[in-house]
Amino acid sequence: MLAALWWLCSAAAAATTADPGPLRVWTRSSNDGRKTYDAMAAAFTARTGVRIEYFNATTDFEQRLARAAVGRDLPDVIINDGGSLGQFVSMGIVSPIARGDIVGGNDLHERAWRTATLPDGRVFAVPTSAQAHVLYIRKDWRTRLGLPVPQTWEALAELARAFTERDPDGNGRADTYGFVFPGSTARGYTAWFISSFLYQAGGDFVRQGSDGRSRGALNEPAAVQTLAFFKRLLCEDKSVQAGAINATTQEANRAFISGQAGIYLSGPYHIALFDKEPGSAKVEVVAAPAGPGGARATLAGGELAFITRTTQRWADAKRFIEFLISPEGQTLGTRPPKGGLPVVRLPVNRQLDAAMAHRDPRWALVADEYVQHGKPLPLVPNWARLQQVAADGFNTTLAHCGSNIAAEMQKLNLKIDAELDKQRVLAR
Amino acid sequence: MSATTDAPDDQAATKPRRIGDVLSPWLFLAPALLVFLYFKFIPMARGMQMSFYKVSFGDADEWVGWDNFARVFTEEALRNAAGRTLLYVLVTVTLSAAIALVLAQALQGTARHMRILRTAMFLPAVTSAAVVAEIWRILYAPTPAGVINTLIGWLGAAPQGFFSDPDQALAALMGMHVWKHVPYDTVIFVAGLAGVNRELYDAAAVDGANAWHRFVHVTLPGLAPAITVVLTLGCIRGFRVFTEVYTTTGGGPAAGSTEVVMTHIYKQGFQELDFGYAAAASTVLFLFTALATAGFLAWRRRGVR
Repeated sequence: MLAALWWLCSAAAAATTADPGPLRVWTRSSNDGRKTYDAMAAAFTARTGVRIEYFNATTDFEQRLARAAVGRDLPDVIINDGGSLGQFVSMGIVSPIARGDIVGGNDLHERAWRTATLPDGRVFAVPTSAQAHVLYIRKDWRTRLGLPVPQTWEALAELARAFTERDPDGNGRADTYGFVFPGSTARGYTAWFISSFLYQAGGDFVRQGSDGRSRGALNEPAAVQTLAFFKRLLCEDKSVQAGAINATTQEANRAFISGQAGIYLSGPYHIALFDKEPGSAKVEVVAAPAGPGGARATLAGGELAFITRTTQRWADAKRFIEFLISPEGQTLGTRPPKGGLPVVRLPVNRQLDAAMAHRDPRWALVADEYVQHGKPLPLVPNWARLQQVAADGFNTTLAHCGSNIAAEMQKLNLKIDAELDKQRVLAR
Repeated sequence: MSATTDAPDDQAATKPRRIGDVLSPWLFLAPALLVFLYFKFIPMARGMQMSFYKVSFGDADEWVGWDNFARVFTEEALRNAAGRTLLYVLVTVTLSAAIALVLAQALQGTARHMRILRTAMFLPAVTSAAVVAEIWRILYAPTPAGVINTLIGWLGAAPQGFFSDPDQALAALMGMHVWKHVPYDTVIFVAGLAGVNRELYDAAAVDGANAWHRFVHVTLPGLAPAITVVLTLGCIRGFRVFTEVYTTTGGGPAAGSTEVVMTHIYKQGFQELDFGYAAAASTVLFLFTALATAGFLAWRRRGVR
């Protein structure tokens, strides 16, 4: 048996020397998203002969990458949320990229390139998709109660309360909630989700000086006001879904899909998902409301493609990424095969129009929000770390209904400053 | 045990053992040992080795000596998590054992309905922790319509937050843990009760002992080995608790109200990506459980003698 094993291993080794095998690509995507990536890979292979082997996961994606890195078994290309840029760079697993070397790189929106750039100007990825958060509302519930689309925080809170108290699904039971809130600190969700509201209130996580150095901004009145708004929904109106404070985004999605709650601020990647359930006729996609001062803002981000430092296939990896950002690749990404979900939300390529690419006018709204009101997460060396600190602080403040928000935010801001100091970008 | 091992020894004294006799148990064990070697022992050794390094993902690891261990013993967050874990272990182990002891008394016997009852009762113990967590999240739903909130509502109590309330989350977790592990403990106690000499009860009854006296002076001493097993296993399980916490509260709410040692290690390792520190903390936890178990067993053995 040992001899047979030995023979198999040596045969496999011989095979790898002759054929480099498929290009290994990891994507943080669901199985439905994976179907679209598969279609893109098929088109790429048909054109170049280079085969693609995917690995996809939505949970614990970074953890799996860390394990692969320690096992010295990283893939060639990683496609992940833009928030991971600093983390991957500080882990030392991705390579810098020269923008000029990327064929078609000049066709990409400058705003998209910025999400792949560190504060010091180094570029470590190529953007493959852009997005801005939009508000999903159960239209059937809202029209049944005869309420308008909320344009302000106050109207949003009112609608959430009505969804909670006035039986919007008409089943005679008090089993619905207004607002979906993924309050878990996992992956820093609490902070990531609240960011849009913080921006609408005119706040931010950090304030950056002209020298690129930053200071925490969570002690500003805007942050206190934002957290007070969330605490009102959680503690006074009780209009958020059950167990919100521990909910990850997956649980939050389920709350909206299953008809537990009817208002959800989230990325446009959910348009296709919510079209299946609760169903396109029941859900409307609208712009996020204005903040208390009337300011419009919404979280903007996107997906980035990284080339790992350990890859032996730089040329193939680059070619694959160039295909992803080409008009053909971008169009394929917006038009999933049967059962798939789009993996290119807003095309990063200037030659494409979002609504046309998706063949869906709702994407025009997303594109408009992105351009007019989209605000990215702060540019710091390692945003994932900072987001975790903010998430822990937000969650603690919101979990205790009796907490003093202003005092908690003061404390949290000190921690933000300490983390900025650790990342060596604290403004003195 | 000694009675059965004595016999082959006698034979061995009369005729020399063939080499096949010595090797064959090892040959039968070999496949399992090989699997353990690759999937348990080598990773464990690698983990211990890692605790002396600052693990880097892009470059070579950096030797840091005892630095990671120094952090393990000084870090406040870990100390808090350790305190919480200790409380968790004390409460869940004692409560599970006490309830199981009572249930075992009620469930002993060989009648057919007893066997059906015991089997039905054992179900939670064989259900995976993740499934149990999902069930209890539904039971603990922090709304007036939640299952447990409805039940306590009938008693006139206000709806509680359970996993959502930082002040209740740990207790709610303990409740879930006890529910899952009582059946396991009960089965061990039922088996232990079957081994208690019936004649002792009769003798005690003749001497005029009442039910309580019989329980304290006959049942409990007879159950000593079973109690040792239940407490030891319970402690080991409790100190390593992870799935139950991770799948329900994730260590939250309020960033840490249910953080136990294992979830803290997991976060340091896989969220903060500080593998060296996480490995060092795991090594300390491993040594602690191993030493505590060995110490407890040695103490029990002396007590029995």
